[in-house]
Amino acid sequence: MVKNTKRPRPMKIKKTPYEIIEPYLFLLPALAVFAVFLYYPFGRTIYLSTWVTDALGRPKKFVGLDNYTIRLFGKDAFWTSLVSTLEFVGVVALGGLIIGMITSLLTYNRYKGSDFCAAVYAMPVAIASAAASMAFRMIYHPTGGLLNNLFGTQINFLGGVYQFWSVAAVTIWLQSGINFIFISAGLKGVPTELYESCSIDGANYWQKLFHITLPSISPTLFFQIIINIINAFQSFSQVKLLTNESPNSSTNLIVYAIWHDAFRAQRFETAAARSVILFLIILVITLIQFSFEKRSVNY
Amino acid sequence: MTAESRRKLTRSQRRRALKNFGNFLLNIPLLLIILVPLVYTVSISLVNPDEVYKTLLFPHSIQFGNYINAFTNPSYSFLRYIINSFVVSTSVMLCQMVTASMAAFAFVFLRFRGRRILFLAVLATMMVPGEATIIANYLTVARWGWTNSLHVLIVPYMTSAMGIFLLRQSYMTFPGELKEASMIDGCSNWRFLIQIAVPLSRPALGALGAYVFLNTWNQYMWPLLTTDSDAYRTVQVGISMLYDIDAQSMGLMMAGVVIVIIPSLSIFVFMNKQLINGLMAGAVKG
Repeated sequence: MVKNTKRPRPMKIKKTPYEIIEPYLFLLPALAVFAVFLYYPFGRTIYLSTWVTDALGRPKKFVGLDNYTIRLFGKDAFWTSLVSTLEFVGVVALGGLIIGMITSLLTYNRYKGSDFCAAVYAMPVAIASAAASMAFRMIYHPTGGLLNNLFGTQINFLGGVYQFWSVAAVTIWLQSGINFIFISAGLKGVPTELYESCSIDGANYWQKLFHITLPSISPTLFFQIIINIINAFQSFSQVKLLTNESPNSSTNLIVYAIWHDAFRAQRFETAAARSVILFLIILVITLIQFSFEKRSVNY
Repeated sequence: MTAESRRKLTRSQRRRALKNFGNFLLNIPLLLIILVPLVYTVSISLVNPDEVYKTLLFPHSIQFGNYINAFTNPSYSFLRYIINSFVVSTSVMLCQMVTASMAAFAFVFLRFRGRRILFLAVLATMMVPGEATIIANYLTVARWGWTNSLHVLIVPYMTSAMGIFLLRQSYMTFPGELKEASMIDGCSNWRFLIQIAVPLSRPALGALGAYVFLNTWNQYMWPLLTTDSDAYRTVQVGISMLYDIDAQSMGLMMAGVVIVIIPSLSIFVFMNKQLINGLMAGAVKG
């Protein structure tokens, strides 16, 4: 920010009442929307999570932390859902990062067709998770889908042990674009002199990759893995659409569980409690990111 | 280049061509992973219903029945969904441009009491994932009787911290004299915003616009919760209502997916730079 406090302050001129309120008028539209659709529901969610609600989501009886301790932590289903979510997030975050890394390295040098490849690798950022889920439903189709036709099998990819991996694969596919864009930008930021001096020393491609490229872009990779984690936590449409609203325990991810609690089981109180837990998880991840970013400035 | 000289490619040229080809070959597995789902979707949408389950990658026959059906079938008002999504996405985009420009202007050019606190309040909204407040928001709009309308899809998204930051960053690059000079000339704050700040921040507005339009077009969860009538349904919810009962509806479903992806990809292709700038700014939020 520009500091212009050095200048001697001009003589105090009395502001007109309009001049005093004018700045707030500029802020009013944005802050009004935030107040009604962000701050209020945020507080309301915490409030509702300490009540028992009726089928319309109106608080009926104050229960303190019972929604957390008894209705969530006391149930095995909650822990299975949480562990599944963490597994899912881990697989998607790493999978996205690896694909992003490979695609970025493949298009780092310019050659005929490299621009086309780069455009294709970035493309999934534009595609909606709902639309992609519908397309993959056909690909995974148990009798006549692309995968089963290719392998000559009749596997139900959207059920049993396959379900988790099928949903994760679609999520990685969707996330691969943003991974490519960020990692590729990170790679382009590595000073070329580093590679040149290394080439003079006779280093081969892999030595350069592991001794220069990866350490140089480690802040980018760290940032990207945080984005992947946050995005993966918020997965919803692929779970709902690919599993046809019946995920098994490995795919009952937290946002789906929130939706299911509220709109299928009419239990707005546990939906609210789960929302608070989701918020706390994302908060912790964001704080980790901030503290690392602060530290990485000093290296 | 004549045929004669082409034959006389030097060794190094030939080697370079070979290396170029080798480089491209390495891309093929990943290109296939990204492209095959899309090509396959287009194929299924075009093939005859009796060949849906036999199609590998390319269709053996081509018919446009599914596309005609998607627009003319009375029980499936796809055209309505497209119009709704366009109205909602465009409105959200324009509203965000206006509210974010105004807020960013205040934060950059005006001095007032509480500026720091209010800025932190905007910053804090980035920490809250939308899914964590969606239930309470649904209960609010349900209490107001807003469900099944277009404004329920627009109003909650009329501003964003990301938009405010993007424009703030753009305004901060303006030379300090610009505001001072225009103030001396008697230019009001509103006029400065409209006639100077907005035109100068066009790149940032473009990035915000492309990003917000695409995000709104691709939105699924909020429209799913708040609309359940054909008149207000948006495209993403519309395509996902069809179930794969038979080959006929599979084809229709895939035609819907293709129609819905076309605007998304158009933004990607024609506003690539703006979209990527928007994405880079937006990725800070989950």
